[in-house]
Amino acid sequence: MKTDELTHIALGNLWRSRLRTLLTTLGVIIGIGALVSMVSFGIGMQKNVTDVFYKNELFTSMLVSSQTVNSDKVLSGDMKSISGNLYEPPPLLTDSTLIRIQSIPGVEMTFPEIRFPVKLRLGHETTQTNCRALPASMGKYKPFNDLLAGSFFKNDSQHTVILNQHVFKDLNIRLKNGQDHSHNWEDSLRNILWIEADSLVGDSIQIITSVVDMNEISGLAGFLMHGRMHLPFKEVTHNFRIGGIQKIGTGFENPDMISGSGAIIPIQTAETMPRMGFSNIWDVLSGRHDRKGYLSAIVRVHHIDHVKTVQDSIEFMGYSVYSILDQLNEIKKGFVIFDMGLGAIGTIALIVAALGIINTMVMSILERTREIGIMKSLGGSEQDIRVIFFAEAGVIGLMGGFLGVILGWLVTKVANAVANIYVLKEVHFTVNFFSIPLWLIFSALVFSIGVSLLAGIYPAARAASVNPVEALRHD
Amino acid sequence: MNPLLKIQNCSRTYSKGTIRIQAVRDLCLTMNAGEIVSLIGRSGSGKSTLLNLIGGLDMPDQGHIWIGGNDLTRMNRDDLDKHRRFNVGMIFQSFNLIPSRTSLENVSLALAFGGKGRSERKRRAAELLDSVGLKDRMNHRPGELSGGECQRVAIARALANQPMLLLADEPTGNLDSKTAEAVLSLLNELNRKGISIFMVTHDRSGAEKISHRILQLMDGKIIKEKLLRSQHENG
Repeated sequence: MKTDELTHIALGNLWRSRLRTLLTTLGVIIGIGALVSMVSFGIGMQKNVTDVFYKNELFTSMLVSSQTVNSDKVLSGDMKSISGNLYEPPPLLTDSTLIRIQSIPGVEMTFPEIRFPVKLRLGHETTQTNCRALPASMGKYKPFNDLLAGSFFKNDSQHTVILNQHVFKDLNIRLKNGQDHSHNWEDSLRNILWIEADSLVGDSIQIITSVVDMNEISGLAGFLMHGRMHLPFKEVTHNFRIGGIQKIGTGFENPDMISGSGAIIPIQTAETMPRMGFSNIWDVLSGRHDRKGYLSAIVRVHHIDHVKTVQDSIEFMGYSVYSILDQLNEIKKGFVIFDMGLGAIGTIALIVAALGIINTMVMSILERTREIGIMKSLGGSEQDIRVIFFAEAGVIGLMGGFLGVILGWLVTKVANAVANIYVLKEVHFTVNFFSIPLWLIFSALVFSIGVSLLAGIYPAARAASVNPVEALRHD
Repeated sequence: MNPLLKIQNCSRTYSKGTIRIQAVRDLCLTMNAGEIVSLIGRSGSGKSTLLNLIGGLDMPDQGHIWIGGNDLTRMNRDDLDKHRRFNVGMIFQSFNLIPSRTSLENVSLALAFGGKGRSERKRRAAELLDSVGLKDRMNHRPGELSGGECQRVAIARALANQPMLLLADEPTGNLDSKTAEAVLSLLNELNRKGISIFMVTHDRSGAEKISHRILQLMDGKIIKEKLLRSQHENG
């Protein structure tokens, strides 16, 4: 028999038992809906993380370090090998090393990684953040080429700071971003000011660094004897102008880790500022104050394809290189396991739906035994009968898959809206927790039809094996 | 001339637990093309079993059945399907129409198994229904038709793929006498057009009116054969 007629018969059979078909299909719809929404959550989370890396062009940057800390040894408690580093300080990256790295083909820019803790004082409000030094040339790259207000500094020695939007929250300032906002009683109670971001550009701000106070160190023993504990640090205040305000990001960016820091200042300015940065703690502990150089540096390449060759060249020079690209595969592996876990939950729902299909079709065979006998008496082959039942299962799978994808999409929309209203109401951006790429829709449809056809194997085989003589006697 | 149907030493035994029922035993039979042969006998005498064997719905334990020179007992599954599609057309006492399908669709289903395209199926099914006098009942479902009309739909369906032999299992068993007479008359008319009919029936008088030969079956064996008229004397 021709396929169109078999499909026609199958559709007719499904239409005759509309309610049962609907209920069976509903099971598949829920199964596929659960599967799509679960997997789309995993994909959405992965997308949010990797997008941040791509958006900030982090794959073209790598961190060159003069030392290698083996995390496995740290975790295993092998302090003997690690403690050696304390007494044998690693070779520092010097300016001449950076020049050598800069000459490697594919390298676009090299600059030392300078970060140090600072206090910010704006008016009467103060907050603490991490300050990072960058060359002015970074201003043409993401995310520094797209500031909320103002612009990135133009030279490396000016006293201009780029602040991250999140810093203002700690300074009791809310940025209006061009939107009207009426001052409410809650804001008054908490002394919160609503200010246009643009109006803050050009304002003065004080950056306060900590430095080791040698006088305090020499008198430390005396203080300890009298039971008074003073840390041997003093503060130095530097006057800066706010050059620009960096966006807080759209979700999973941790500003301190990825976009930079709460404050970004020009690199030459930073080098002239007395400070106690994180790198100097080695010098403090080992008593070497005269060492010149950096513990790490950032190397930026022209294109993602250059990462591997540049990485190899720098490692050949005896330095260790950390590239986010190395970590991307690890991140992806982690998400594959996460997705599999979510997909498994959805698959369980689909398996339950498949049992529903088997049940419905077995019932259908019992009801249609005589009809099967009639078809066989008319010359219908076992294959014809099998195809009819397969077509019925396939149609249930197709309809269930199609409507299931729609249900899954609706669920993700509702869940995302609820999450953004209730979970993220404290932050002022929208996050897409879910992502439904085309391949997921296609896979869900194929999976739905596949599972339905699998569920149809037993009923179809049973229908095909019906004895026509007995079937014709069947009531 | 080769016979249309030849059955040689055919037996069929059913087992139900420890009980063995020999429905057909060592049966021999010959039928020529153009004949109407009626098989009469009591319930349980093996009439329907023999019909199912000829129809290819069941297989004998031993013996041979030739139709048009082809041995059914040597056919594979595909050949048996083709045999049911093209060699024989079956009519049942309870009509065996699919209740959810209209007359046209029921006849069309047989044509579909015969590999006909959609438009041809529709045209041919309409012609067949017209030929059995059901032109106005094409779009009615079996539940909306009388017993006689249902049997005529079943006859139209049985003729769909122009079979060599029409197998009728108690075609008038569920009909009143007037309708039964009309159905027998239709079968007789089909026979005059050259269609061979093998009929199983309880209705001896009806069978005598249209049959060329009547065979009497008892305990799975033909015990009596009565020649009523020759093939050249169609009534």
